[in-house]
Amino acid sequence: MEIFIQQLTNGLAVGGIYALIALGYTMVYGVLKLINFAHGDLFALGAYLGFTLLVSFGMGGAIGTGPALLVIAVMVMGMSALVGYLLERVAYRPLRKSDRLSAVVSALGASIFFQNAIMLIWGAQYHAYPAGIIPNITIQIAGQSVPLIRIFVLVCSVVVMLVLYLFINRTRMGMAIRASAIDQGAAKLMGIDVRRVISIVFMIGPALGGLAGVMVGIYYGQINFNMGQMYGLKAFTAAIIGGIGNIPGAMLGGLLLGLVEAFGAAYISLAWRDAITFAVLILILVVRPTGLLRERVAEKL
Amino acid sequence: MRRKSILALVSIALLGCVAVGAAEPIRIGVMGPVTGAWASEGQDMVNVVQTLAAQINDAGGVNGRPIAIDIGDDAGDPRTATLAAQRLVSSGVVAVVGTYGSAIAEAAQGIYDDEGVVQIATGSTSIRLSEKGMPLFFRTCPRDDDQGKVMTTKVAEMGYAKIALLHDNSAYAKGLAEECKTLFEANGVDIVFYDAITAGDRDYTTSLVAMKTQNPDIIVFTGYYPEAAMLLRQKKDMGWDVAMIGGDATNNTALIEISGPVAAEGYMFISPPGPLDLTGPAAQSFMKTYQEKFNSVPTSVWSIMAGDAFLTIVEALKDIDDITSENIGEYLHNELEAFPGFTGEISYNEKGDRVGDVYRLYRVDAEGVFRLVP
Amino acid sequence: MTAQQRKILAVIGIVIFFALPELGLGTYWIGVLNQVGIYAVLALSLNIILGHAGMFHMGHAAFFAVGAYATAILNTHYGVPIFATMPVAGFAAGLFALAVAAPIIHLRGDYLLMVTIGIVEIVRIALINDIFGLTGGANGIVGIQRPVLFGLRLTRPWQFFYLIWGFVAVSMFLFRWLEHSRFGRALKFIREDVVAAEGMGINTARCKLSAFVIGAVWAGFTGTIFATQMRTISPGSFSYWESVVLFMIVILGGRGSQRGVLVGSFLVIGLPELFRGLQSGRMLIFGAALVVMMIFRPQGLFPAPRRHYNLPEPYRDRYL
Repeated sequence: MEIFIQQLTNGLAVGGIYALIALGYTMVYGVLKLINFAHGDLFALGAYLGFTLLVSFGMGGAIGTGPALLVIAVMVMGMSALVGYLLERVAYRPLRKSDRLSAVVSALGASIFFQNAIMLIWGAQYHAYPAGIIPNITIQIAGQSVPLIRIFVLVCSVVVMLVLYLFINRTRMGMAIRASAIDQGAAKLMGIDVRRVISIVFMIGPALGGLAGVMVGIYYGQINFNMGQMYGLKAFTAAIIGGIGNIPGAMLGGLLLGLVEAFGAAYISLAWRDAITFAVLILILVVRPTGLLRERVAEKL
Repeated sequence: MRRKSILALVSIALLGCVAVGAAEPIRIGVMGPVTGAWASEGQDMVNVVQTLAAQINDAGGVNGRPIAIDIGDDAGDPRTATLAAQRLVSSGVVAVVGTYGSAIAEAAQGIYDDEGVVQIATGSTSIRLSEKGMPLFFRTCPRDDDQGKVMTTKVAEMGYAKIALLHDNSAYAKGLAEECKTLFEANGVDIVFYDAITAGDRDYTTSLVAMKTQNPDIIVFTGYYPEAAMLLRQKKDMGWDVAMIGGDATNNTALIEISGPVAAEGYMFISPPGPLDLTGPAAQSFMKTYQEKFNSVPTSVWSIMAGDAFLTIVEALKDIDDITSENIGEYLHNELEAFPGFTGEISYNEKGDRVGDVYRLYRVDAEGVFRLVP
Repeated sequence: MTAQQRKILAVIGIVIFFALPELGLGTYWIGVLNQVGIYAVLALSLNIILGHAGMFHMGHAAFFAVGAYATAILNTHYGVPIFATMPVAGFAAGLFALAVAAPIIHLRGDYLLMVTIGIVEIVRIALINDIFGLTGGANGIVGIQRPVLFGLRLTRPWQFFYLIWGFVAVSMFLFRWLEHSRFGRALKFIREDVVAAEGMGINTARCKLSAFVIGAVWAGFTGTIFATQMRTISPGSFSYWESVVLFMIVILGGRGSQRGVLVGSFLVIGLPELFRGLQSGRMLIFGAALVVMMIFRPQGLFPAPRRHYNLPEPYRDRYL
């Protein structure tokens, strides 16, 4: 029972982080059909930006820990969004009309660029987030003590996902994003500025990724320059499991992936954990070739 | 005809230049992971060796000849390492310092052996590297079996009976874990848990929970410092106060930064003395120079090992008249005796391994400082 | 320049290239060319799957690994000579490809891409965990012998240069033939329009699977050469990133184009070597260079030329 509760909460917290990153993949894919391989590195960049802000401003101070954290999170999201916007302008927009795979290679190049830029700016060593941002206490769930920070991470990601869900489904901009994802040509004819939609998507995705970066920093306390590669791959897996291009799918896929990892490691084998995760992915796709929640994009024949 | 004579004149002039100009530098290579996952180690290695070389050159070089450092980035990857090695060999180095990882050293080893270039590994602790009978292979770092022996003895001395043994599936950590497992089993110590975590992960709660159900007296972790720090931190978060001991790859001050002093208190590891525990005057003055130049200290002992490797090469160069790799190798094997390096006295045995006991036991105190356990 | 002149230039270029070791090219650059060659063969074999059949395959390193480990295990455990292990390596890689690809071959674009990444990761983790007790775990396998060809033991980089680039030449020749065969044309049809190809009576699933297996067999052969050249192999050499590198080579060079794939191998493997002077900044420049090259040549550096058919005179007006 102890293992079960610990793994359940842990899997959900990790899954929430995966889901936040996966949303960036899936939203970009939705409108551009592009796998943004640099997304994982934007996530890492967010973690480093958060690190610099936290260290230079110190925590708490005049406004208290909670509001300070919120301000820093918003600042990181803003900066990540700016980088995402520039990335799209420089590396992807010139390739809009070309073969999709050309943009994939451009994305891989951007990924290498960002990863090494982080290394050159912040150095190659591991950096430690300031300790004690979230008080180190445990709370009781079903008779087990669970660290507060785990619940905090899970709640944060769920709240952000809810906000995003409402934005996509209840606002005009959200509707434009959905329309562009289904058929760009038709969306253009209906007077939607698809270019602007793409820019917006390229700001929301990296903003969520950057936020996830800060959350990883706070949750685990350490960051390093190539962390984006592993998290990027995991989040991409999550997006695929859910059905890439599908926003609720990415959320579901992320949480599911976190749980599969946690339980696979606990009940089957630690050393084979990632292999188990990928085997589950393959099984899911063999049974449901376009992910759990089917891709919303109409199949082109 | 005229052209020929001009050519002759030019070549004579060129030869003259070489003769009267500065003495030709002695080229020494540094191979390390300057990019890639272990970039921080590689960059420290390069910084240490370059600083030392600059000091020697400022003092007039070796027997009047300056030393030139060539850098070969192996990116922590065997394939890149073979190219880096070939490039260093092609640029005419007589000896190479490095590298960090064992699998990477192994890929490059064959090339240095084929080409007859001295290689002094600085962080590659895998046993088999020096068991191949390569005459020009040396290392300033100890071997995994040394460490395994010290680890098991210390754990037994402290009276721990139920062991959870954990590695991270890297060549180094798994090798050390297997070494420890054999020795523990031979001593009749009970291993209640044996598994691997995934390096680069951040979440080890799973492993910790699984371990806790086996109720060990101590966790022996053979992997690297980022994972060790996370284990300590998450162990603390779970409220589990079990002792933990690690190997020399956790001897890195970043461990405390990541885990925080509270979680790390009481953590033990065995290691050659760290950069800040080097007692000799030479080491202390060097660390001061380094700190002034780079505004930081090397994060681990392995880059200091690179400095030691470089110094033994220089020592050989001072003594031999004809500078060839064979002569350097000959000198290191037979002449070099108790050379005062930064990390202690250095001699190499016939396999090229460093002689002597370099391991110490450390414990982290309440302020998060690594304290030598006498 | 007439076609004749171009041909002569190409021949001269090839002769000079193969004479490079004799012309005093340094060992290091021969080493670089050898790695370019290994990646060129791998990329050529991936080109069948990704370039011709149009399947997004980002796990080619898995088949490369199976071949390399087959050779390493047979050679070190059972003393089989290197070249005798080569057919086994190819066969093992092909069989593995057949087993894993059959259930997933119907997956569309990016789903296939993710699954192939999954496969290469599973293979790597299996190798690290010392599957069947044969792979040596994270340390890998050491002591792989040098190959013996016609009584000559190959040890020097220039000897490997001829072995590797000879293999590149053979592969190019065979793949060119394959490309223009009935099968190759069927693959192109599938890439351009699956539904129409199906309608014309092409068994698309079987064609795709065959392309996968052929590419895998060739990657297995290359694994043999890699293993004997490195003499020691470990799981780190067969990561997901190696598959990404191969993927980049094919797309950067130009899908379906042999010339392009060759040039792509030179750039992707060679550029980081050229940038060595920049030390820790070299990969930063490499990443930026990739983006720039893609922007200026979105179709790849040397896209495959469209094939022209010379129709008999009376039809020409009607169809062109």
